[in-house]
Amino acid sequence: MKEVSHGLETFLQQVINGLSLGSVYALIAVGYSLVYSVLLFSNFAHGGFLVVGGYACYAALKVLGANIWVASAMSLVGAGIVAVVTERLAYKPIRERTNVTLYLLIASMGMSIVIENLFVIFVGGRFRALPPVIPTSPVSLFGLATTSAFDLLSLVASVVFLGALQIFLLRTKWGLAIRAAAYDLRTAGLMGVNVNLLVSIVFFVAGALAAVGGIFLSVRYTLYPQLGGITIKAFVAAVIGGLGSLPGAVVGSIILGLAEMLTAGFISSQLRDLVVFSLLVVTLLVKPSGLFGKNVSEKV
Amino acid sequence: MSGYTEGIIILLCINAIAGMGVSLLTGFAGVFSLGHAAYMALGAYTTAILTVQYSMHWLPAIVAGGIVAMIVAYFIGVPTLRLMGDYFAIASLGLGEAIRLILENWQSVTRGARGYPGIDPYTTLPVAVGAFLILLILMFNFINSRYGRACKACRDDYIAASLLGFNTANIRILALVLSAFYCGVAGALLGGFLSFIQPVMFDMMKSTELTAVVVFGGLGSMSGTLLGTLVITLVTELFRPISQYRMLIYGAVLVIIMVIRPEGILGNRELPSFFRRFLRRDS
Amino acid sequence: MAAIIELTNITKTFGGVRAVDAISFSVERGELAGLIGPNGAGKTTVFNLITGVYDPDQGSIVFDGEDITPLKTYQVIRKGIARTFQNLRLFQRSTVLENVMTAAQNGLPYSFWEGVTHLGRWRGVERKIRDKSMDLLARVGLADRALQEAGTLPYGYQRRLEIARALSLDPKLLLLDEPAAGMNPEEVYALNDLITAIHRDFGLSIIVIEHHMDLVMEICPHIVCMNFGAKIAEGGPEAIQRHPEVLKAYLGDEEETA
Repeated sequence: MKEVSHGLETFLQQVINGLSLGSVYALIAVGYSLVYSVLLFSNFAHGGFLVVGGYACYAALKVLGANIWVASAMSLVGAGIVAVVTERLAYKPIRERTNVTLYLLIASMGMSIVIENLFVIFVGGRFRALPPVIPTSPVSLFGLATTSAFDLLSLVASVVFLGALQIFLLRTKWGLAIRAAAYDLRTAGLMGVNVNLLVSIVFFVAGALAAVGGIFLSVRYTLYPQLGGITIKAFVAAVIGGLGSLPGAVVGSIILGLAEMLTAGFISSQLRDLVVFSLLVVTLLVKPSGLFGKNVSEKV
Repeated sequence: MSGYTEGIIILLCINAIAGMGVSLLTGFAGVFSLGHAAYMALGAYTTAILTVQYSMHWLPAIVAGGIVAMIVAYFIGVPTLRLMGDYFAIASLGLGEAIRLILENWQSVTRGARGYPGIDPYTTLPVAVGAFLILLILMFNFINSRYGRACKACRDDYIAASLLGFNTANIRILALVLSAFYCGVAGALLGGFLSFIQPVMFDMMKSTELTAVVVFGGLGSMSGTLLGTLVITLVTELFRPISQYRMLIYGAVLVIIMVIRPEGILGNRELPSFFRRFLRRDS
Repeated sequence: MAAIIELTNITKTFGGVRAVDAISFSVERGELAGLIGPNGAGKTTVFNLITGVYDPDQGSIVFDGEDITPLKTYQVIRKGIARTFQNLRLFQRSTVLENVMTAAQNGLPYSFWEGVTHLGRWRGVERKIRDKSMDLLARVGLADRALQEAGTLPYGYQRRLEIARALSLDPKLLLLDEPAAGMNPEEVYALNDLITAIHRDFGLSIIVIEHHMDLVMEICPHIVCMNFGAKIAEGGPEAIQRHPEVLKAYLGDEEETA
């Protein structure tokens, strides 16, 4: 009996951890999917934005002595700006000249390497811990399970940011324009939307969301230049949910977070990454276009 | 010839074999992979295990390494290559990492993350050069055959290709499987050259390097890939003292090429016709 | 005479819009038929349904006595249907000759091993593919431009190249999607001659989509007219020209575009 209740407690705890981790993946995956839905290419530099966000927060806290609110704001804006600059420098010249998305994909691969190695060279490759600005003390959930304040906080913050994104997309003029562009960027351009500004806004939003993810991930795993590699999981989540679909990205992320934490809790924490990739394989075999993906057909 | 020069030539041959494989897939069939280092790993480990554990002769063991990579590629390709575009890129990224994780965790067979030592140094200069020449001839024959034209048709316009009676999914799978064979053989040769392999040698950075070489040389030009291999392998040797800048330069080169000249050094031309054009422009 | 292709009650909707609405018609073996109608009438969609680019929601397509409705695009093509495209789909960076050879190779196989070793049948078959392609290029008047990059050809020649490429598949039925689009009157005149000559010499059945009535009226004895996805008239040129629905469709269209 005792063992059963212990099993239940572990289960609840891991579910909460999984939701928390999954919601952080969702912040990253949603930004990535948003870019994909408008420009139809996988922005592999997305992980770089996350790292920029993490280091910006670290620098604001450590060097400027700012409080967590100011530091987070600087981190979001900083990552957003880097995302916009990345787009202007590396993607805009390409997308204006051709519609071969493979070129954009390769350029984003290059930008990902550039951002990561700029940090390696100028900041150093060592692992850094963020100052203890986010509480990580244990919290008891109605006596059923214990979890950490950090997990609850990251879950709440993710929900808030995803909600804000939803409101932005549904209720504002630019949100409407972005949704129209996701349907067809060229038509949006013909309808008088400033396409370059629109793309910049999309990148700013994606970069800022990645920065939120970056702050939470650098508390969870410490901060280092290769932290952006974790976006592989957000990419996988986006594919499981269906590339370009925002609800799909959220659902895929939650599934991944839960699968990872339950594997860690009940089987072995070494196998969690393997479980992630097995989920990818299963999805591609059963429903290749993902849970919410639609089969896009080209005009002939 | 000094040992150092010999080593560089062997390394050039190995890199060129892997580069030709990726070039076929990305440059000729238009499929972008981010996980081809995993096929090198499969080839390297298969050959290492067969030669060390089962004392097989290196020649059939290398071929077996290539074939194992092909088989895995087939099972990865069938579900993913029916989809267009980025699904395969992300799937290949995920599966590449998965294969590396399996190699790291399957201690009893692969000896885990610390690596697999004691491989017979079977990759001598003649072996490397011989393998390179044979695979080079087969590759050029392939792209100058009906299969090469089919690949290019799928790359340039897959809808038009299917409306000319091509089964585009099968053609992409064929290109993937062949490219996996080339990478598998390259990995097997690398194991015999270094006498030691480790899962971390075949990570995402290695996959990126493979793609960088192909893009640098020119998508759709096999001789461009060879030229790219030559340049990048030699530059890497030169930059060895400041190796932390190496990856930065790789990344920047990828971006700059895409922005300035996305078709790479040679464009989609092979060397002879490139020179012909170049001379004509001169005169 | 048996029908080469028979469409029965074909319907296709896109997001609630009936792009093709219960269309039925058939084309006899050896016939040169025209499919006309104003812009957006659903003509190209009919070609896409025949060639399996889209699957119809309802109805069946029988080609040469065989139901091809469920087949994939490449399977339909291998049964003997070839087509050209309204907005050209050439392999721009390849040469004119390569464009045709890419299609011509489909009836002339050799094995993978012969391909990678260049032994066995490779040499002979490659020469056959090349000769056949050159013959077809000569036929459409492009032999002297065989080694030019396809994308650099003038527009009218690109349309001719597409026809040569489609012919190299040895089709029983050729679908031409607005072959005269973007041509000047002189070029249209030459194209008329080309289409009638191909029809005569290759023993083909042909369906031509045209937006301009005159070309179709001149060369097609059998015409189907569509508007808003539905068939509104069928018959010979004179009957079509006098048909009240056709007149209404075209006049209405001109009012809209004016």
